[in-house]
Amino acid sequence: MVLQILLLVGLVLFSVLAILVKDLLKAAISLAVASLLLGIIFFRMNAPYAGVFEISVVAGLITVLFMLTIALTKGGDAVESKAASFAFPAFFVVFIVIDAIIMKKLIQKVPALPGPEEAGTFGQVLWNARTLDLVGQIAVIFAGVFAVLALFRKGDNKDE
Amino acid sequence: MNSTWFLYMFFTAVLLFTGIYCLLTMRNLIKLFIGIGVIGKAVSLALIATGLAKKNVLAAQSLVITYIVVEVSMVAVALALIINIYRKTKSLDIRQLAKLKG
Amino acid sequence: MIFLFIALPLVVAGILPLLGKLSKRVLPDALANAVLLFLLVESVLLGKQLAATGPFVRQFSWLGEPVNLRLALDGFSLLMLIVVSLVGLCVGIFSIDYMEHYGSKANYWALFLIMVAGMNGLVLSTDLFNVYLFLEVAAVSSYALVAFGLEHDELEAAFKYLMLSVVASAFILIAIAVIFGVTGSLSFPAVARGLQDLDTKYVVGFCAALFIMGFGLKAALMPFHAWLPDAHPSAPAPISAMLSGLLIKVSGVYALTRIFFNIFGLTPALSTVLMYLATLSMVAAAFLALGQKDIKRMLAYSSISQVGYIVLGLALGTPLGIAGGLFHLINHALAKGLLFLNSGSIQRSTGTRNLDEMGGLAKRMPVTAATNLVGSLSIAGVPPLNGFWSKLIIIIALVQAGHMGFAVVAVLASVLTLWYYLLIQRKAFFGKLNERWKDVKEAPFWMLAANVILALLCIGIGIFFSLTITTWVRPAADALSQGVRLAFGSWGM
Repeated sequence: MVLQILLLVGLVLFSVLAILVKDLLKAAISLAVASLLLGIIFFRMNAPYAGVFEISVVAGLITVLFMLTIALTKGGDAVESKAASFAFPAFFVVFIVIDAIIMKKLIQKVPALPGPEEAGTFGQVLWNARTLDLVGQIAVIFAGVFAVLALFRKGDNKDE
Repeated sequence: MNSTWFLYMFFTAVLLFTGIYCLLTMRNLIKLFIGIGVIGKAVSLALIATGLAKKNVLAAQSLVITYIVVEVSMVAVALALIINIYRKTKSLDIRQLAKLKG
Repeated sequence: MIFLFIALPLVVAGILPLLGKLSKRVLPDALANAVLLFLLVESVLLGKQLAATGPFVRQFSWLGEPVNLRLALDGFSLLMLIVVSLVGLCVGIFSIDYMEHYGSKANYWALFLIMVAGMNGLVLSTDLFNVYLFLEVAAVSSYALVAFGLEHDELEAAFKYLMLSVVASAFILIAIAVIFGVTGSLSFPAVARGLQDLDTKYVVGFCAALFIMGFGLKAALMPFHAWLPDAHPSAPAPISAMLSGLLIKVSGVYALTRIFFNIFGLTPALSTVLMYLATLSMVAAAFLALGQKDIKRMLAYSSISQVGYIVLGLALGTPLGIAGGLFHLINHALAKGLLFLNSGSIQRSTGTRNLDEMGGLAKRMPVTAATNLVGSLSIAGVPPLNGFWSKLIIIIALVQAGHMGFAVVAVLASVLTLWYYLLIQRKAFFGKLNERWKDVKEAPFWMLAANVILALLCIGIGIFFSLTITTWVRPAADALSQGVRLAFGSWGM
């Protein structure tokens, strides 16, 4: 449990770092490390499939896409307002305090029904119980692919 | 709901706050994308934590996997937009984009 | 075969780019519009089946094994399917000519069909997470479609739209996670039953607040509307029509209404909050529309205002109010679609969207002017067009329920709406013919055809309003009025 809390704190830390750091490349790497920590957290929560996906896709694929964009837009320096970066710690601490108080008060206040126990293997759950999700995934992948194709098409008819 | 769930939700809220703060205050387009990535982590954590509390982690995992696929698609579209914006305006500052007043 | 509503557009969208290599224009145009026409006919046929059997749930099987692909059809879903197919078909016909200059038409149709598939999927699903998933499908394709022209304005608008949408999706998912935590399930019947069994006022209140923020942003309900006045004007005209006429209603109003009526059950608190937000939208957006010079921006603010009417009628909760809200949903989809398509015709012919630069176009573009007049009067609520009846029903419902204040505000907002639409008419179409436009031509055939079809529908529904209400609106209103019982009854497992 203690290790879990340390990992969670690390996750938050690297996410905050990713937001406050000026250099975009370092920010992308920081986000990737945060994803890695989240993947480990998932493993320890008995969710190996989610952990694998998180590490390989979010820490891997999305980070690669980020770096590709950073490379293609060289020259766009991160011009940030200093005020926002300095103000952040103050807001952050205030928020954490409020959050902790609210969460403590809510413990035991949220009723819950016992849900169905998990049945079958992960494959069965994904293919049988949540089949419509797969249709949706195919649709969203199509949408992404066609969107990228459309947004990067060769401009052959530009008259507006 | 046991207190472990609340622990995870505490961290979810912190991550959400961080992500939304980034979206509100940062000016560089790619930084705004990092904010969206942080929000994505918050949501995945919330889903798996809920699955753990209900002892049904398998269902929660399939939800998170679907969510990650959606996130990849969205990030691809967003980065395509960013690259196109850069080609048009040679800048990644969102203040430069403020032609439309909303 | 209601699965076809999702599967057919997806499959055709998948093969379109391949076909696009063979034939750049004719084949993709014909195929996409054929799909939309098929969906329209299919939805009307389903209407007959629904009238005979009542709401039903279909469970599909794959290669012999039953898989958990459950799609449910009741009056409300059917209404949305018909509206989506109808407006989608007209916009599709319009796009045949309008999208000529953008290039890559096969890609456009593919994204268009995916958006339609996403909207259909949202309307047919029986599971909270599926609602979210299809909402994202439609949203991702809409981001690309808004930015399709790759001009500066379009890219900026698409980016802002994307950013705000992501926050909305996050709120919706957190609410879904909490509901999953409380009830242990995600399907509509199980969640409804679970929420009834427990004492969950605060949890429901918290999730309702998150849903209002999330779906409210998708529906452009004030104060979550900030993305719409940029996104809808900048997008290509047919996409503006799809977004204003369909997407904000399907992914915003439909999802919100379905969850609040059939799963949570509409409490007086929820009703009051929604009514106040709706009134804010109605009035503030009407005022903001008055000062606009860009015709599409004025139409965008008008959309926010009319969505306020729809939500006001629905949030009232009485059967008459629900019927009025749903009828206004249909009417606004048709009329606003028509108006945005018209603005596309004007933009194609004159190259400008600025009202101050136009003038006297009625002489050179008579058909466009006439259809624009029909659309404007319809939204403004002038009898005997369809908008008049739906607004009247909403106002009567408000009076009957004792909310005199809201009724007066609704009437005043109507007057404002009439004013700014007459402004458009005067500035753009009537008056002296601006010298710049003396050689302007009427819009091409398919664009005119789409406009005329929509205008005829507005007039027709206006005249035959009671027939429309009894056939299409009444079953939908009944499905919603049953509230949580619908989730136990026909959807029950």
